[in-house]
Order: sequence, then structure tokens, then C-alpha cells
Amino acid sequence: MNTAVETVNLTKYFKGDSGKERIVAVNHVNLSIREGEFFGLLGPNGAGKTTLIKILCTLVIPDEGTAKVAGFDVVKDAEKVRECIGWLHGETGGRALYWRLSARDNLRFYAYLQNIPPDIARKRIDALLEFFELSKDADRLVKDFSTGMKMRVMLARTLLSNAPILLMDEPTVGLDATGAIETRRLLQALCKELRKTIVFTTHNIFEAERLCDRIAVMSKGKVIAVDTPLRLSEITRKYRGVEVRFRGSSEEAVRILEGLEFVKRIMSVQPEEDYTVIRAEVKDEEQALSEIPKAFGTNGLRTIGVQIALPSLEEVFLSLTGGEHESA
Amino acid sequence: MNQPEILRLFMVEEKRSKSSLRQLFAVVWAQLKMMLAYKSWLIMDLLSTFASVVMYYFVGLQVDPLQLSRSGWGTSYLAFSLVGVATSNYLWACLTRLSHSIQHEIRGGTLETIAVTPINMLMFFIGLTARGYLVSLIYLVGVFIVGVYGLGAKLLFTPQSVLMFIIIFMLMLISNQAIGLISAGIIMVYKRGDPLVFILAAINEFLAGVLYPLELLKPFPAIQFLSMLFPYTYALDGMRRILILGASAFDFNVLTDIVVLAVFSVILVPLGLKMLGWGYDRIRREGTTSSY
Repeated sequence: MNTAVETVNLTKYFKGDSGKERIVAVNHVNLSIREGEFFGLLGPNGAGKTTLIKILCTLVIPDEGTAKVAGFDVVKDAEKVRECIGWLHGETGGRALYWRLSARDNLRFYAYLQNIPPDIARKRIDALLEFFELSKDADRLVKDFSTGMKMRVMLARTLLSNAPILLMDEPTVGLDATGAIETRRLLQALCKELRKTIVFTTHNIFEAERLCDRIAVMSKGKVIAVDTPLRLSEITRKYRGVEVRFRGSSEEAVRILEGLEFVKRIMSVQPEEDYTVIRAEVKDEEQALSEIPKAFGTNGLRTIGVQIALPSLEEVFLSLTGGEHESA
Repeated sequence: MNQPEILRLFMVEEKRSKSSLRQLFAVVWAQLKMMLAYKSWLIMDLLSTFASVVMYYFVGLQVDPLQLSRSGWGTSYLAFSLVGVATSNYLWACLTRLSHSIQHEIRGGTLETIAVTPINMLMFFIGLTARGYLVSLIYLVGVFIVGVYGLGAKLLFTPQSVLMFIIIFMLMLISNQAIGLISAGIIMVYKRGDPLVFILAAINEFLAGVLYPLELLKPFPAIQFLSMLFPYTYALDGMRRILILGASAFDFNVLTDIVVLAVFSVILVPLGLKMLGWGYDRIRREGTTSSY
């Protein structure tokens, strides 16, 4: 099976707010995505997903490493890459449309830019407008559309070109529940029946599990795990964690927790306005719920609450990799 | 339309032939459609065309014809100012339109969605500029019609003078657009340069002598020297010599203006293209194609 997207040590730095420090947005990412694969990039905000997608669609030039899309280098053969991709940036919330054009004219304009033959473009535009329930509003200016409607126009625009590789950044953001379900079904069908390669980013682990053949989990610019949703959810289920809210010295609290035999590792220490939250991975949640307040009490810390914590993916995978990244 | 029907539409064989002209047409078409969506702005703009010409007609009544003729530009201030007023809109379009449009595209997030299509970005930038050119053309024709046929300004429109006017006018567009490319490249990177470009255009308009003969600058040699640094100064001089004084293509002053404008173009166009390319590459390196 051919490779649709391949990155080798792909790295991108950006300047920080001060202009002096260097932030690693994408950190030596190695990925190999097969043709016809539905591939998810999962991770919290700032994980580097959007930058990675933007590099793949030639919008951002990488600093180190290489990336190939449909066999073409994203820097050297950018124009050829652009002939093979459809791109959607859902986070813009419909900003990236011409608001002073109608939905149909927006699509017509992009059909011209994509060199789609006019007769095919006309049929496809009508069909996509109907599928996304925009037929009635097709000739209204986009400025009068709701965010959800704008998002549907953007989806239609991305699919219009019939590109073999779809790079989609948060494609279901802003859609209502039904719209999101229909869109997911269409994307799945495009992938399974037309063998399109879909690379999409999401915060939503459930969406990723349902759609993807494989998922890469990103954190702080690194890919920390790549696997099938089934394998990843097995890993998630093994995680046991608690969240402790208390008043008093954070250093003291960390020292106490690290001394308890059932605490595996401290995941995060988050100071709030008048208390602190510590998340920790434990071997036994029940024991943690009863023992931690006692241990804090004897050391003069006031426990506000202890509860079982659903882990963030980042925590799970950092836990699994022992804080080290594992690129696949 | 259900999902299987959509999928069938995507199974159709399609042959795509890349046509830069078709893409350019699409950009111009979209830009014009958006412009026409601002109906009240369009009406106000047309009204202002007539208002400005009428205003210079009345200003002209106050100008001493003798003093104007001593500067060598005939006796009609309306004719003198008409050439400046009609073409100055193009000066603004050349210098400010592209950088302003690019900023608008960046702010709107549309630059990114266009940059990921197979369009050659230079074609897209040309398309963005075309809108300003078309609006300015309406203004230029409107000003000449109102001035010449409505208010009786004496300008010489013969086949030869129109041809010469067009040659100098094209050189004016090329040389000034090159400056526009440079500023667009810089503004793309630094984002907030619009006021600077507006100041540059305003200074350029003032120093080139849109509304007064440059001979009036003689007591101020430094300012007169500055005025010689802008291509628009030579373009205005040449266009006025042709339309007001009836100078031929072989007139020494007209030829000098043409040569200077050509030299400006030869130097500035490659520099402008390089700066535009630099700006576009830089925002792709910095990841600021949608930041403002």
C-alpha cells in the first residue's frame, strides 16, 4: 500500500511573545500515513496539531526535517502538493469565507481556482449544497449565515475539489449534533468507498475513536503515541488517577504524596485562587480516596476534596512513556 | 441528495487543465461581486467623482491664468488639474490597493484558503490589484468626461495624443505598482504598515504636483529634489505636455519622461516582485498567514 503522507524529523519553531525565545511547535515528528487511511491527530490546545496540518498543506514552511504529501515534498513541490489536497480549518468558525459573496459564489470561486471543469463543478456544488442543507440559502450572502451554516459551506468547499488527500483541522467544530453525525458519516464513506486519505485533528477522543483507523497523540509538538483506537483505549482504561484539592504548601503536599506507596507519579500541580489542585496517577483509587486526606491532615494540610480523575490523554501517554516521547 | 448520490458524483472522471487566466478571471470576478455588494459605497464613490471635478472648476476660477501660463502650462487651471485629479486615483490604487487587500485577506482568513489551492499566488495578487484598477478607470473616464464635456476643459484628444497618453500612463502604472509590490511585501510581514503607505501615497501625490505646477517649488530646492524621486512626477509632466500642450512623441521633455519612467520600471519591478515573494515566504515561515 502506498504512503499518502510521510514526515521525517519534521520540526517547526516559532518565536515566542517576547520575540527572543524559540517555541517548538512541531518537534521531530515522524509519521507515515497510508493511502485510504482515516488518520487522527489528537491532543490538547498547543500540542502542534494545527501547525503540523499547515505544514502538510504548504501554508507553513518547516525548519527541519521533511514532509511529503502524495509523494511530493511540501517545500520543493508545494504547487503539486496543493493539487492533491483539500484543506479545512474548522477553528476559524467560518471566518475563512468571503462574507460578501453568496454560499454558491464562494463555492464557484473555489471551483475555478481548483480548475474543476464548469459542468462538473455546477453539479457538485448543487449536490453539496443540498447535502449540507444549504440549497434554500445558497444565494444569500454568507455574512448573514450562522456559524454552523458557515462551517457547512467550508466543508462543502473542502470536498468540492475531490482531492485524494483531505487535511481537516477540527472539521466538526461549530456543527450541531445532527450535522456533525452526517459529516462524520460522509467522511467515513469518502475514506472507505473512494479511498480518500483523511488526516484530521480533534480534541475529541470519542470522535477520533469512532472515525480513525489510527490515531497519533500529540503533546507539546511531539507525537507521543501512534496506534489504533482499540489499542489506545485499552491503554486509557489502565490509567488510575485522583485529583486532590487542598489548602496549604504545594511543596509539602507533593512531598507527602510522593511518600505514599500507592502513588505512582504526580501528573500536575495547579494553583487556583485560594487552593491548589494536584493530579496524581495511583495504583489503587479507593485507597487513595481514603488515605490522602488522612496523610494531609496529619501534616497540617487542609483537604477540600479528593476525587477519581478522568485522565487527559496527555497525562495517560506521558504516564505510559514515562515523560519520554515515542515517535512512530 | 443522499450520501450514495454524492459519492457517485465524486466517481466521475474529470480532466483538469490548469489555466492561470481562468483563475485570474475568478479572482477579479469575486472581487467585483464583493465590491458591488457594497452598493451605497459605490454610489458615494461615483458622486464624489463629479463633486471633485466641479470643485476644481470653481478653484480654477480663482487661479490667475497669467501665473499659470508663466509656468508653461497654458491658461486653464481646470485642464491642468484635471490630468492630475483623473490619474491620482490610479496612483493610490497602485501604491495602496494590494497591501490593503492582502491585509484584508489575512484578517479574513481567506488568504490561507486560497494559498492551499493550485493558483499561482502572483496571479491572485494581480487579481486583487485589478479591482482597484477597474474602479480607478471608472473614475478616470468619469473625470475626463465631466471635465471636458461638462465643464469645457481644453484637453487635446487626438489618436496620437491618446496613444502617447496611454504609453506614459502604462509606464506610470508599472513603476508605481512596483512600489506597491514593495510595500505589500513589507506590510505582509509587519502587518501594521497601512498608515505608512497612505502617507507615502499622499506625499507622492503632493510632491508630484497634482494640483499645482512644480515650478512653484523652485524656492524650495530640497522639496523639488524630493519630487524628482517619484515616478508619478515624470508621468504627470509627460501626460500634461501631451494633453495640454499638444507635445509629440519626439518632444525632448516627453522622451525624457518616458526614459525615466522606463528606468524606474526596470529597477523597481524586479525589486517589487522579490519583496512580495520575500514577504509571502516570510509569513509562511513565521506561520502568520492568518495572524494580524
